[in-house]
Amino acid sequence: MLRSLTAGIVLAFTGSRANIARTILSCAGVVVGVGALILVVTGSDFGQRYAVAYSEIQGGRAATLQVEINGDVTDRDALEEDLYRAGGEQVSLYQMPSGAVRVRSGGADVPDVEIRGVDPELGDIRRITMTRGRWFTEADRESLAPVLVVNESLAASMGDLTRVQIGTDRWVDARVVGVIADSGMDFTWQSAYLLRSPATEEILFAPPDSEEAPQEGFGFYGGSNAYVVRLDPDHPGVEDYGEGFSESLRTVAWRWGVEDPQNAIWSYRADSAEMLEEPLLYMTWGLLGIAFITLGTGLLGVLNVGLVTVRERRRELATYRALGASRFTLFVAVVMEAVVVSVVAGIVALAGCWALAALGSAVVTELDLVPPGVDLRVPPSGVLLGLGSAAAVGLLAGIIPAARALRASVVAGLRE
Amino acid sequence: MSVDTPLPEAAPPAAQTSELLRVEGVTRHFMVSGTRIDVLYDCTFQVARGEVVAIVGQSGSGKSTLLNLLGLLDRPSGGSYVFDGVDTTRLGEGRRSRLRGEGIGFVFQQFHLLERRSALANVGVPMVLGGVPVFRRRARARELLESVGLGHRLDSQPHQLSGGEQQRVALARALSREPALILADEPTGALDAASSRMIMDQLLAQAELRGAAVVVVTHDPKVAERADRVVELVEGRTR
Ligand SMILES: Nc1ncnc2c1ncn2[C@@H]1O[C@H](COP(=O)(O)OP(=O)(O)OP(=O)(O)O)[C@@H](O)[C@H]1O
Ligand SMILES: [Mg+2]
Repeated sequence: MLRSLTAGIVLAFTGSRANIARTILSCAGVVVGVGALILVVTGSDFGQRYAVAYSEIQGGRAATLQVEINGDVTDRDALEEDLYRAGGEQVSLYQMPSGAVRVRSGGADVPDVEIRGVDPELGDIRRITMTRGRWFTEADRESLAPVLVVNESLAASMGDLTRVQIGTDRWVDARVVGVIADSGMDFTWQSAYLLRSPATEEILFAPPDSEEAPQEGFGFYGGSNAYVVRLDPDHPGVEDYGEGFSESLRTVAWRWGVEDPQNAIWSYRADSAEMLEEPLLYMTWGLLGIAFITLGTGLLGVLNVGLVTVRERRRELATYRALGASRFTLFVAVVMEAVVVSVVAGIVALAGCWALAALGSAVVTELDLVPPGVDLRVPPSGVLLGLGSAAAVGLLAGIIPAARALRASVVAGLRE
Repeated sequence: MSVDTPLPEAAPPAAQTSELLRVEGVTRHFMVSGTRIDVLYDCTFQVARGEVVAIVGQSGSGKSTLLNLLGLLDRPSGGSYVFDGVDTTRLGEGRRSRLRGEGIGFVFQQFHLLERRSALANVGVPMVLGGVPVFRRRARARELLESVGLGHRLDSQPHQLSGGEQQRVALARALSREPALILADEPTGALDAASSRMIMDQLLAQAELRGAAVVVVTHDPKVAERADRVVELVEGRTR
């Protein structure tokens, strides 16, 4: 049995080497079908990683809530304690300064800078890619100068990062400790993260000038207090896009002096990967269906060629039988030949897809269309599915010709 | 399929020593669109180990049919055929294949070499089927080709060889598993006189060297002359 099996495999390999032209012709359909399969898997994998990266850069890791509390907070420490109590695993301030903050570098004003006060925890909540320097540490809070992390656009406008100053009514020397990559996915503002610390308390939380009109109609009487909070994705607070979390905050709002908690406290889901995943999944299945149909046509091609060649090779197969090959050996040989042909086709398709992906990856990164670290490449699941289905096609397409080959009479075959 | 299980018990040792095969009352008929065509009526003869037997008879007398039966490529309609102590009439396909591979070598009139494969690969095929490891296989195939005078054509493919050379490759292939029986159906039928003589010389010499019996179907009186014994087929019966 084992000997027949190995003999069949050896015959198949020598046989397919002897029939290279036929091999190449017969597998064009399989190349296209397997290629389509691999491309769909590659595209889907790319889409998913893109969605996750986008969501983690823009919103946060699963599950991140953006929480806003309008009105004056009398006890910020109590509020932050409650953010943890309500289920937050990491909490970071995410707040625009109450007044207009200006930025200058080497004495020259840099206009239109979006500034947000944050905590070092933001680095765990969001995906942040540093291109230079580092993210904030707890130790930075002790710095007497305000500590900044700027994005590349802002770094480019500033030029000299060692002579940066910020201020509302007077200039203060600031320290830039790192530069993060522009997200590259939307119009990129010049933005900076400002670490919350005793040195920046005044800039971030100073009561607004009375001239800066309160935004009436929205119920913004004092400032707005904004946070990002990461919860366990299974935490009940995440349900209803974060409504559960708001509810538990509202019950303790009195602790930090918010008077109309129903209207003053809002939270909503900031990470969006989960929402993007479902449509992506449907699309992937649809495209996979089409790719499998294509592969099916490829299978018919290989089957057809297999049937023709078995008829053409009656003499050869009969000769094998005369030389002592059992039916089982020949069955294995004919099936294996189809498998070898298909797998070679699969490898060709894989190489093609790999080249396409490399090209695509070069284009999208060159055009800055993707977040850092997200490239277009064939994932292992694509390789597995591609080669696996190629082998399966070979098996299916080989069985019928192999069964035919077995039925043929040896004597008749030798007479051809 | 059960090729790895042992073959049935060998016949008594007395018979095994000298007798290689015995055909008794073998018949073979074919059905062609409802009509029965009787080709072999009653064939009875035996072949001893190492013996050279020529089968002669008119065209259409059933010589090839008989040889196919001897080679286990076909089954008789009736009668019994004992090969190497094994009654083959009751054997399954897998065991017949194995017995054929191990005990019988074929030389065909049309050579039946595998196209697009080197002489070396062709000679190696029976050894692939016999599970001979690749290094031993190549060495032995080379040795066999050298012994039929083709040591310089190891890599030639059949279409690059003359008829006589192709038949020598086929002979080397038939010898590759040291069979006890070599069956040759008009081995010189497609060759000129000089090549014919050379092939017959080599066939007989190699068989004698290895102690193999030869059953050769032939029209050629010169070939028949060289056999130890001649079996004539007349109207489907051996004489
Ligand atoms: N598969 C078959 N179906 C029907 N008839 C067959 C079959 N095989 C052989 N025959 C018939 O059996 C007879 C003997 O054929 P066979 O080939 O054995 O003759 P032969 O003695 O080898 O002749 P030759 O010397 O011409 O080769 C012929 O009449 C042939 O038509
Ligand atoms: Mg004949």
